[in-house]
Amino acid sequence: MKTEADYYALFEAYRADELAAPARQELERRLAADPSFAQQLTDFDLLNGTLRGYGERLRTRRKLQAFQATLDAEATAEETYQTGNPLMPTMHISGIERTLREFWGSHRATIAVAASVAIMAVFGTLLGIEWWKAAQKPAPTYGYTMLRREVERIKRTQRAMNRAITQIDETKAEDINPGKFSGTGFALSPNGYLVTSYHVIQGADSLLVESRTHDHYHAEPVFTDVARDLAILRIVDKDFHGFGRLPYSFKRTTADLGERVYTLGYPREDLVFNDGSLSARSGFEGDTGFYQISIPVNPGNSGGPVLDDRGNLIGIVSGKQSDVQSAAFATKSSYLTRLVDSLQTATVSHDITLPRTNLLTGTSRPQQIRKLQNYVFVVKVYE
Amino acid sequence: MGKGLPSYTDAEFVAAIRQGDDRALAQLYRLHLPMVLHLIQQNSGTEDEAKDVYQEGVMVFYEKVRDGSLELSCQIKTYLYAVCRRLWLKRLAEKNRFGGSLSDHEPYLETGAEQDLLDAQERDRRFAMMGEALERIGEPCRSLLEGFYLLDKSMQELTAEFGYTNADNAKNQKYKCLVRLKKLFFTHYQEEESF
Repeated sequence: MKTEADYYALFEAYRADELAAPARQELERRLAADPSFAQQLTDFDLLNGTLRGYGERLRTRRKLQAFQATLDAEATAEETYQTGNPLMPTMHISGIERTLREFWGSHRATIAVAASVAIMAVFGTLLGIEWWKAAQKPAPTYGYTMLRREVERIKRTQRAMNRAITQIDETKAEDINPGKFSGTGFALSPNGYLVTSYHVIQGADSLLVESRTHDHYHAEPVFTDVARDLAILRIVDKDFHGFGRLPYSFKRTTADLGERVYTLGYPREDLVFNDGSLSARSGFEGDTGFYQISIPVNPGNSGGPVLDDRGNLIGIVSGKQSDVQSAAFATKSSYLTRLVDSLQTATVSHDITLPRTNLLTGTSRPQQIRKLQNYVFVVKVYE
Repeated sequence: MGKGLPSYTDAEFVAAIRQGDDRALAQLYRLHLPMVLHLIQQNSGTEDEAKDVYQEGVMVFYEKVRDGSLELSCQIKTYLYAVCRRLWLKRLAEKNRFGGSLSDHEPYLETGAEQDLLDAQERDRRFAMMGEALERIGEPCRSLLEGFYLLDKSMQELTAEFGYTNADNAKNQKYKCLVRLKKLFFTHYQEEESF
């Protein structure tokens, strides 16, 4: 009986193809006949194969390590060769700095991308907001110019003037925030209601009303009519005691063509008078809510009163047509009176008593203006 | 390289390495080392770790080539990259520092490398058990088997070294040792297998 070790000798010879033909046939016959014997051969193959593979693995590992050692040695040799002088100054990097350098080295692409995304987001947001704001503004009607004054634009002139004043009397000019826009407004009733154009107070955060004598009052919008470009304001200051009796009355019917009319307003820091005639009983593009008047008006005139010779208020300055000579538009006073009437009936909280008598009739124009000027105000708008 | 070293195409590399040409292997090793160094150093590894992973990766490639079972569907470079990438992911996972993805600087393709790696892992397990079995077999069997299989010594050398009277004696001793090794190895192998 052969031992397992003897069979191993046989197997090794068989695998190495060293068996004589009869012995090999004998072995193969036995392998075919006896499954457990065949299993022994399989085990032997696995064992032998694994051992050889293991040996090969160890040898290869040594080989690779040798390659690496060669490469490392080459790298060192190269460095020595390249620097030439071993006493070359070396850069000493602290641990923290090395960490930072490694961090930068491995993340700089990510950082760059993040930074550009941040920059794009910031500018995108800013531009987006600008664009949105522009979109919020009503599209300007072609050829129609609203006459509210952009204070910012003339600020520079004003500053130059201030400087001039300072040079003259050596006292520091008062530094008042001039607001962003300004227009004109006038008294509607003795108890502190005012009228101006809607587009003057459009988008306002706060409103300041300033009289010719430089009294300031805070006001708030009570009612607005976008279509007729009208706004009714109320002065909310506690120390306000009313305007007193208003000298003019409001015309409830339509005025006649050719009527000589004039306006007072604040296109600049001072009250400005202008006159002309009533040219048409319809406004821009045939709008029947407006008159066309031939008064030269400027930004800042908006919301100013338009009066006829007898001192009747017939309209409120709204805008002008820029491509036509001297064509200004004013809201008809009949719409204002109708608006006031409906406000009176709709709510009890507003007591707007329109003046019934007219103190201006029959007086000369300079006299009329002298009486009128105290009831015309600058409306300053802060956004 | 410009160092007077022979340059090979991929096919020539495979052919030369299969024939056991160490110069080709050394050349291959040198050629792709920077790529893997870069990959691993970019992904929070040190230079030593990179060399380690690279050697393991080359080993997988080498054994497949020697085996004759390599089915290369891409460049050797891509294959090595895939293998080393996979190995490094595994190590990172073991180190618990893996953040979810690697930043690749080479196009990463699905190669046959994944399957090859699984095979290699199976082989690693077998080799580890063989090493353990060899540790436990005791002298003189261990020295004899190591001498023959691992250090590639001939039976004549071993006969002289161990003081056997002739080569047949040494051979008989070797077979006995093999039988013992088989028992040690297979008890473990089957235990592991049953898991």
